[in-house]
Amino acid sequence: MPRTRLTGWVVAIPMAVLALATIYPVVFTTNVAMKTRREYVLDRFSLADSLSWDNIVKAWTSVGMSRYFLNSVIVVACSVALLLLLIGSMAGFALARLRFRGSSTLFLGVLAALFIPFQVIMVPLARIMADTGLVDTYPGLVLAYVAQFLPFTIFLLTSYYSTVPADIVDAARIDGNTVYGVYWRIMLPIGAPALLSVGVLNALFCWNDVLISLLMMPSAEHRTLMVGVTSLRGQYSDDIPTFASGVLIAAVPVLVVYLFLQRQIADGVTAGSTKG
Amino acid sequence: MAAQSLSAVDAAVPASTAGAASSRRNRRGSRAERLAPLVLLAPAVLVIAGLRLWPLVLGINFSFTGDGDRNGLAVGFDNYLTLLGDPLFRTALRNVGLLVLLLPVAVAIPGLLATFIFLKVPGHRLYRGVYFFPAVLSPVIVGAIFNLLLAFDGPFNALLGGLGIPPVDWLGDPDVAIFAVVGVHVWATFGMALVVFLAGFATLDSSLLDAAKVDGASLPQTIWHVIVPSLSRTIQFVFVTTMIGMLTSMFGLVYVMTSGGPEGSTYLPEYYVWIQQGQMNQPALASAASTALFLIMLVVGLAQISILRRAGKED
Repeated sequence: MPRTRLTGWVVAIPMAVLALATIYPVVFTTNVAMKTRREYVLDRFSLADSLSWDNIVKAWTSVGMSRYFLNSVIVVACSVALLLLLIGSMAGFALARLRFRGSSTLFLGVLAALFIPFQVIMVPLARIMADTGLVDTYPGLVLAYVAQFLPFTIFLLTSYYSTVPADIVDAARIDGNTVYGVYWRIMLPIGAPALLSVGVLNALFCWNDVLISLLMMPSAEHRTLMVGVTSLRGQYSDDIPTFASGVLIAAVPVLVVYLFLQRQIADGVTAGSTKG
Repeated sequence: MAAQSLSAVDAAVPASTAGAASSRRNRRGSRAERLAPLVLLAPAVLVIAGLRLWPLVLGINFSFTGDGDRNGLAVGFDNYLTLLGDPLFRTALRNVGLLVLLLPVAVAIPGLLATFIFLKVPGHRLYRGVYFFPAVLSPVIVGAIFNLLLAFDGPFNALLGGLGIPPVDWLGDPDVAIFAVVGVHVWATFGMALVVFLAGFATLDSSLLDAAKVDGASLPQTIWHVIVPSLSRTIQFVFVTTMIGMLTSMFGLVYVMTSGGPEGSTYLPEYYVWIQQGQMNQPALASAASTALFLIMLVVGLAQISILRRAGKED
């Protein structure tokens, strides 16, 4: 409801320019990835002569992006799908819907953990991983991700489960379900929207991470995709189209997830920002 | 992320009283039933205590020991004195100061944009989805793309050239590079704050806006007297999350765009920790830098709690 149509347009034009500025970097990179080296050197702005997949194929095969891609998929799948959602929903259900001594203390512990950024604990964590032989292994990186994102996951799921009416739980108990039955048959299905939202968000966090992965997976064959992209930069500084192709390969899964699950991502980001 | 925790606390309080009914039934239940909370919580407790709380204690402890020859020996505050004497760490702290100064801008931009989207400027349906997009990209991807865009002979300088502005060495000039990195961070994350603001607007009482309109308030008046007071909680949330984001999620950008350079001008505490741990093999010094970063975060966190408490009392 701007005062007049005019003020509306006065604002709309800079906003449209900003929208272009938001999209252009990705479009530019895509265009560069389609160019040959010669084309890029001659003119980096013009549209690529043809849609050439040569650079993408090169980045995927000979540069080794396929291996990094697979590493990332494995780690993200194990961290998020298997562990974070399972452990997080069990804890969220117990904290939100079961009454037991010490529950508020435990909750405070999780609250405290949420305030500890990875940068603050990375040195001792690296040492623990080295001492237990988990450094440079898939389980080590998965465990590091689970530790990093579990507090957030528990908070989101606890607050979601707190909105589930207690009557539903009581009715299920009267029907003869055990506590575990209530968790498995009632809480998991009811929690599906929250699990999807927190799952997508965690998957993005893990997929996009570089610091934890750099620290926990030092060897080249264990590189995750984002670490792989950073290593491309030095190797292909004179072959920008191949570099751009590597960047694109790492970005496309995120782009696809964003197109289909934008709402769930936004829900996770905004949870707790208005009224708790 | 941190403020979400607080809301979860609020939400969890009624939950535990509501659970009283089921606990009465629990007492009649089998032993396995009574142990259920323990079983359900055990993995979470193990992971959080062992891999987050315990390392924090270890790290603080570690920061008072030596590196190299003095490995494991108690050295008191030596590491902290080394930090204060290190020009790179001082640059990192100065850059944190710069981030704090830029914080209001980083909050105001998405706030204003969200206001315009809420007021339905032409095209408002499109903007949310477009602006939010870079926020889901990895800092590595964003940094790599801007390496190309901000190159001396890159598109950005070409655009400026078209406007008659001479080219700038965005990532090579020590006086400019930190602003370039922070600028890219803001570009990449303003959509996150925008979405949070829009969620706040969704809770806004529209009759207040109608009243302002009837009274003939101008747009700036409406923003200042109606929107800002109504969204105080959201604004505080964005302030804190934006600050935490600046302190803990710029590693990827610095790593890819400048590697801390030129001349160490783009160092941030988190990058300093990484260099000391990963490259210089000085874990005790790195721990001291970590602890310093934690103290900065703690101040931010405590400020948040007190602000939210005050806001809660006003409700």
